[in-house]
Amino acid sequence: MAQRNTFREDEELEETINLRDIARVGKYLKPYLPRVVRILAVVISMSCIVVSVPYLTKIMIDEAIPNKDLTKLGLLAGALACLIVLYELALRYRTVSITRVGQMMLKDMRRDLFTHIQTLPFSYFDSRPHGKILIRVVNYVNTLSDTLSSGLISVFADVFTFFVTLIVMFVIDWQLALWSLILFPVLILWVRVLQHFQRKAYQKLSNKQSNLNAFIHESIAGVKTTQTFAREKTQFMTFQQQQDDVRTAWMAAKHIEFLMWPGVQTISVMTISFIYFVGITGFGGVDVTTGMLIAFVGYANNFWNPVINIGNFYNQLVTCSAYLERIFETLDVVPEIEDRPGARDLPQIAGRVDFNDVVFRYEDGGRNILNLVDFHVEPGRTIALVGPTGAGKTTIVSLLSRFYDVSEGSVEIDGHDVRDVTLASLRRQMGVMLQDTFIFSGNVRENIRYGRLDATDEQIEAAARAVHAHEFIMELPDGYDTVVEERGSTLSAGQRQLIAFARVLLADPRILILDEATSNIDTRTEEALQAGLRHLLKGRTSFIIAHRLSTIENADEIFYIDHGRIVEHGSHAELLAARGAYWRLYESQYAAIRA
Amino acid sequence: MYVDPGTNQQAGNIRWILPYCKPDLPRVIGALLLFIANNAMALTIPIISGLIVDRVIVGGHTDELLKFCGLMIAMTVIRVGARYGYQMWMERFGQNSVYRLVSDEYEKLHELDFTYFNHTRTGDIMSRLTSDTDAIRHFLSWVSYQIADCVVMFIGALCVMFAIDWRLAIALACVTPFIFILTRGLSTHAHPLFFAIRNSLAALNSMVEENIEGNRVVKAFVREPYETKRFDEHNDDYMRRNMALAYNSRRYMPWLDGLGFSLQLITLGFGGFLVIKGYMTLGNLVSFNSFLWMIDGPVRASGWLINDWQRFNASCIKIRRLLTEKSRIVEKPDAEQAVADRAAASPAAHITGDIRFDHVSFSFPDDPATPILTDLDFHVPAGTKLGILGETGAGKSTLVSLISRFYDPTSGRVLIDGVDARDWPLATLRSQVCIVAQDTFLFSDTIRGNIGFGANRLENDGDGRPRTGSGDGADDEFIRRMAQIAGADGFIRSLPDGYGTIVGERGVGLSGGQKQRLSLARALADDPSILIMDDTTSAVDMETEAEIQRHLREMDGDKTIVTIAHRISSVKDSDLILVLERGRIVERGTHAELVAAHGRYWSIYSKQLGAQSGAAQGF
Repeated sequence: MAQRNTFREDEELEETINLRDIARVGKYLKPYLPRVVRILAVVISMSCIVVSVPYLTKIMIDEAIPNKDLTKLGLLAGALACLIVLYELALRYRTVSITRVGQMMLKDMRRDLFTHIQTLPFSYFDSRPHGKILIRVVNYVNTLSDTLSSGLISVFADVFTFFVTLIVMFVIDWQLALWSLILFPVLILWVRVLQHFQRKAYQKLSNKQSNLNAFIHESIAGVKTTQTFAREKTQFMTFQQQQDDVRTAWMAAKHIEFLMWPGVQTISVMTISFIYFVGITGFGGVDVTTGMLIAFVGYANNFWNPVINIGNFYNQLVTCSAYLERIFETLDVVPEIEDRPGARDLPQIAGRVDFNDVVFRYEDGGRNILNLVDFHVEPGRTIALVGPTGAGKTTIVSLLSRFYDVSEGSVEIDGHDVRDVTLASLRRQMGVMLQDTFIFSGNVRENIRYGRLDATDEQIEAAARAVHAHEFIMELPDGYDTVVEERGSTLSAGQRQLIAFARVLLADPRILILDEATSNIDTRTEEALQAGLRHLLKGRTSFIIAHRLSTIENADEIFYIDHGRIVEHGSHAELLAARGAYWRLYESQYAAIRA
Repeated sequence: MYVDPGTNQQAGNIRWILPYCKPDLPRVIGALLLFIANNAMALTIPIISGLIVDRVIVGGHTDELLKFCGLMIAMTVIRVGARYGYQMWMERFGQNSVYRLVSDEYEKLHELDFTYFNHTRTGDIMSRLTSDTDAIRHFLSWVSYQIADCVVMFIGALCVMFAIDWRLAIALACVTPFIFILTRGLSTHAHPLFFAIRNSLAALNSMVEENIEGNRVVKAFVREPYETKRFDEHNDDYMRRNMALAYNSRRYMPWLDGLGFSLQLITLGFGGFLVIKGYMTLGNLVSFNSFLWMIDGPVRASGWLINDWQRFNASCIKIRRLLTEKSRIVEKPDAEQAVADRAAASPAAHITGDIRFDHVSFSFPDDPATPILTDLDFHVPAGTKLGILGETGAGKSTLVSLISRFYDPTSGRVLIDGVDARDWPLATLRSQVCIVAQDTFLFSDTIRGNIGFGANRLENDGDGRPRTGSGDGADDEFIRRMAQIAGADGFIRSLPDGYGTIVGERGVGLSGGQKQRLSLARALADDPSILIMDDTTSAVDMETEAEIQRHLREMDGDKTIVTIAHRISSVKDSDLILVLERGRIVERGTHAELVAAHGRYWSIYSKQLGAQSGAAQGF
């Protein structure tokens, strides 16, 4: 069995390089590239306007006002007003389009995650708390929102400003410009060191958040159990512990994040001091005029703003990469069961089933769950599987609809190896009714319709009648339109099974699998149900797993499974006559009820 | 509860959140001091810069250069230190406040009754505990000081400007009403949008949640494309809601931003005019201009902050709704005391297990017209066994839910040990009554941890240490014994990791019968006075079931055991058997009596017996 994860354990991530993740984000950006370019152009022109406003101010203060030139003042004010209008129009465009690009990327990413998760095997869902899967599809993707849209675009603008300023500085005085870059390596070092710790801190944080989320999810799902056992206090304490962990991790991550700005700011001020020093003392052969020096310091200030912004963006990116890692890790899980390249659709089948010396184990070298199971079933036959719990009955039927792949041997349906046909075409012709009946939130009708999406209301009702669900459904407040809540919690277990039954019958499968499907149904209903089922079983190959012998003794053939093998097989009468394991089981049941 | 949910129920969101913040308010004051220090430094550093230009470059006092540079660097270090300090303190403040809030939510959640959970989707509750609280955290630890910053800067700068030139300052102050109108408009329109975004996210959450939970059914019916289609709808909706917000921002933000710019225009245009006309000096205009950024910034930021404020409001409403949700099952305020009094009178401190239904009727509060149980009247003495038989949906599970008071009867009384169930403290009652439900819920934990979940005696790790901890030998022994009684020891030991095997959420990966036995073991480990088995062994093969029943019989006989079953074999040993039909008791008696009566019980019995003996009835 796969290594399982609980809300207490952090998930391990081995990946250390995050550049690859960021490159993968590019894939999501690609479809919107033209848009992004347009936005970028707008954003850069906005920066230009912002830069030119002080210039206009300067002309006004230096020329128009001292000369008492009202006309010029009016003209300049008019020009400024025009720029403002242009700027605001650009802002209008930017506000919506940046959000749109960001949201579309997130939407694509969420969709990819969701569709990918649909292809993953049971074991993926079984081996980790569901809250941890949920947080990836919804919460983690949302945290990327700002960074990927506005953050990404303004960082482009900042890079642009950075280079323009740098060029201007070199034009003014290349020596001074070089001197002003002297602390740049220190800055890089500072950012690198912080980034290293920050990444770790955020990885830890996302782990802890994931754990907390899983725990919350499980607490909500299991709240009835907790109440039943009056374990609210213990659960609450565990919850606080988890919350505490998140808070600690959060503060640690923020601690490092908040250190970024002080470093950059200090280096910036030191650089400016240094420029003054070099400029004024003529240190290192620099010779500049006063005006140049003042202008230079002004630009040096401008130079640091984008650097701080880029630093902040980098900060965000590091934060995000912890989440991106989770998202891509999920996308990278390879579905164990996939269509083979060149898999064909399974044609309409008659329902012949062959198990050829099937061996199955969950992992290589593990225990054999099934050991050389070999049987052949003609179309239309009803097969009952009996045996102790855990003997491998459910595994046999799971192999049939290819929820797992055999380790050795083969499973064939109408002579087609199930591994050679597409999963969709295979499962569409199978009706599986599981031990766990799952009811979706919605009304009863929709729940039955899940079996065949294009079924009419009449067909739905007919299916419900056939399994004797119609009676109880009509007694519900709104009949078929009664809204059932998540997991059908307002219905009894038996009622849920009946609905699930109708659902399977509506799907009209060629092969029908009932896995302990009748265990929660009372004797009278079951009896009626079986009457209804009789003609439905006709023409279908059926596999029935049940503990109640009443359900199975009319099967065409009974397989007694124990320890992953078929120990006995034959009809009810034959097996009784053989006085083997089946007979003993039968006797014990009879004894239990009569004694 | 850190804060009584009843506090400030009618108050605004800020007043409501305040009690949660209270213990950390000193931190906020500290942060405020650092905040002032930071701003003071931020304002002085440019002055030093000016001094360097005036005195060193223009004045030629080169010897003062190092002093000024040193001062500037020193002040910057102080500034960044102060900023780091208040950011951390505000962050801590937000975290702590939210910690208290979420804890209260979590506690509240566990007080709510089944009716609430039957009608509220998991994804929705999840949102309230995660993304909603995050919006509040963001507000407390970031938006709060941004708003303070904006207001202080705006007013401060305006005051300074008044001192410089009142005419120009009044002209600037003219924009204030516009800011007010715009932010108000933005705020009013943003409010429902944030609410819609929040609800859309909750719906998306619920949809994905359900898909994950139901993954087996989705696969069995090859409904992946259909599910994806449904997901797309939610995904699109969520995006649309976000876009609607962006459109709203587009409507207001450029105007607000333009107002910021217009300040510059007014300063230069009107200020220039004043200077030219001689009402103001050029020097004053220049210094006026240098303060402009202080009032310009807040005006531009106001739009974004309003959005954050409304996000906070939308989340507050949802959380407050959860916290003030009324549970129908509430403990009487004097329940503890009443029982303590009784305990003083009689030596038995715990419930002995005597159950009496006194003309009990029940219907669900949301559907009072449909009676679920009608006039149930029976008595089960402590230590005896009750069997309940009935059709699907006859009301059997509801009946037992009344015993541990997951619902209250609509009329009549349920008496436990002669005391109305409503008079017992809930914790006492529920720790003594244990239902092994049809729906077996297992936690994603080790098997050991799951069985130990219910064990009172294992609850020595009161500090919330993981229950799975290695545990001492005695506890392991105890858990194994419980598993043995429940017929689970055998299969557990055949698992690769034995009792250390981790089972998935809801116990996925185990067969139905295995899950049922684990949940029975869990209930046994709780050692309740009243054990209720609601169709607990339906998926267990009959051989194992017989074994479990034998074990249960062998256990000390002071437990009251209530068994709900479809199989006669499960109930026939009971001291009293009730046959339930549409919420009424239609037959009662012992196995022998009921068989002799030739009624419904007898017909079920003979069918099951007939079926067993080979005379097929079904097909």
